[in-house]
Amino acid sequence: MKIRFHGRGGQGVKTLARIIGRTFFLKGYNVQDFAMYGAERRGAPVMSFVRADRNEILERGYIFNPDCIVVLDDTLNPGAVSSGLTDGFVLINTTKNADEWFPGKKVVKVNATQIALDVLGKPIVNTAMAGALAKLLDIEFEKLEKAIRIEMGEIGNVEKNIEAAERCYRACS
Amino acid sequence: MKDLIDGNAAAAWGARLSRVMVVPNFPITPQTEIIETLAKWKETGEWTGEFLPMESEHSVLSAAVASEAAGARTFTASSSQGLVLMKEIHYVASGMRLPIVMVNCSRGLAAPITLWPDNNDFLSLRDSGWLMFFAQNNQEVLDFIIMAYKISENRDVLLPSIVNMEGFILSYTREPIEIPAQDVVDSFLPEYRPKVLLDPEKPMSLGVPSLHEYMYFRSQVHKAQMNALNVAERVFSEFEKTFGRSYGLVEKYMTDDADSVFVTTGSLSTTVKAAVNALRNEGRKFGLVRIVCYRPFPKKELEFLSNFENVIVLDNNLSPGMGGIVFSELRNLATAGVVVSLGGKHIGRDDFVKIGKKLSGAKGEFWYFGEKTV
Repeated sequence: MKIRFHGRGGQGVKTLARIIGRTFFLKGYNVQDFAMYGAERRGAPVMSFVRADRNEILERGYIFNPDCIVVLDDTLNPGAVSSGLTDGFVLINTTKNADEWFPGKKVVKVNATQIALDVLGKPIVNTAMAGALAKLLDIEFEKLEKAIRIEMGEIGNVEKNIEAAERCYRACS
Repeated sequence: MKDLIDGNAAAAWGARLSRVMVVPNFPITPQTEIIETLAKWKETGEWTGEFLPMESEHSVLSAAVASEAAGARTFTASSSQGLVLMKEIHYVASGMRLPIVMVNCSRGLAAPITLWPDNNDFLSLRDSGWLMFFAQNNQEVLDFIIMAYKISENRDVLLPSIVNMEGFILSYTREPIEIPAQDVVDSFLPEYRPKVLLDPEKPMSLGVPSLHEYMYFRSQVHKAQMNALNVAERVFSEFEKTFGRSYGLVEKYMTDDADSVFVTTGSLSTTVKAAVNALRNEGRKFGLVRIVCYRPFPKKELEFLSNFENVIVLDNNLSPGMGGIVFSELRNLATAGVVVSLGGKHIGRDDFVKIGKKLSGAKGEFWYFGEKTV
């Protein structure tokens, strides 16, 4: 399983990869999680990545052919964020008609911004998107909850973030 | 304990479990988190050594020389520009026979500026007298630090060691690794007992001018390096008995029935193994030979390279005017050398497959610029 996350600096893209990486680790998988480093800054397009496998993971570096793409911000260029996707799906945080942005691809839309605003009071959507992704990947919520507790421990606001994740997990089917 | 941690955290664990007493330090991307992690543990009391923020990397290694000479097991870390700013003191540390251990997070040297890895910074220590180990994953970063102290502090060696990981590719990538228990590490790595101690009660000078005797002392550094080959083998074997993980000066991957091999160093190696698997699936008998210990250079262990039709050396470094550094050291055994991934230019499994096919039967020196950009 190779997952690529796209968002903008400040939306928690790196932490999202760490939460999903930790979730797979807790399920006993081999894992790599990492973020793109460069001139990252608030508002700039950023990426992060997770590889998870029952076998040893040998490949390293950026993921160009993901099984799944997660988009936290619908103002990013759809062509750029969906590059390399073949059979998998795009999970996107949007209320717009995003299906036509990704012709021929399976697109799952979720209004994570609204959930984040309702629960956290600010539009930081990473934990809500983690909930949606966990549901789509058939991961039990308890594992995700534990991963959020570990990864958000030093960042804070853990309970609210778990609530945001759970709301999105339940909203997704 | 198994945990999901990045290469920098693995390095900090290696230092902590080795019970290092002094850590002079200066920040530089992508190794700063090694030092930050130790600072955090200093605050919580989980690590109780001396944490010395210095004004430059030159001062960092100068302080390391002093603390090691005073009998304290000393650790530091750097990268790229920081590592080359230490360079003057690298030779002092080896000449004074001080078993300091440090970590380098490889990053291409300016100019132009990159934050991504190649090994020119690390390989600039090639002739300094330091023992040099290339880690290929985060587990090896932790394990090699502990083993490096044991090898360095051996009375037949008494030389500093440097363990290398590629910046970002390992330093900021998390992988599951096994963090050994402190009491097991203590049984493997006893307290440091210096042979010569700088002691104010018995004043003496170390590293003094020797003028015409200089050649004798440098020849002793070479002799100690050659001793380290045997010492390292013994330490690897004791490590395996204690911790269950097996290492060697050289790693061989699917070489038994191979007719062609890649020669690699560092974290490129795991992606190249994926390429070897892919080439095998196409019926091509490839293997991989990874140089783990770069200094001392395992000449004897590499002689078997003469058995293969194609020996393709992948150099993640460049000596302008000469070419790949590892290829030039293996010129009598290698058939082709390729310079790859300078400054962290992306290279993946399919690129190595392409290189393997294209350079089967080819001789000489090549470049691979890659296609993928981000």
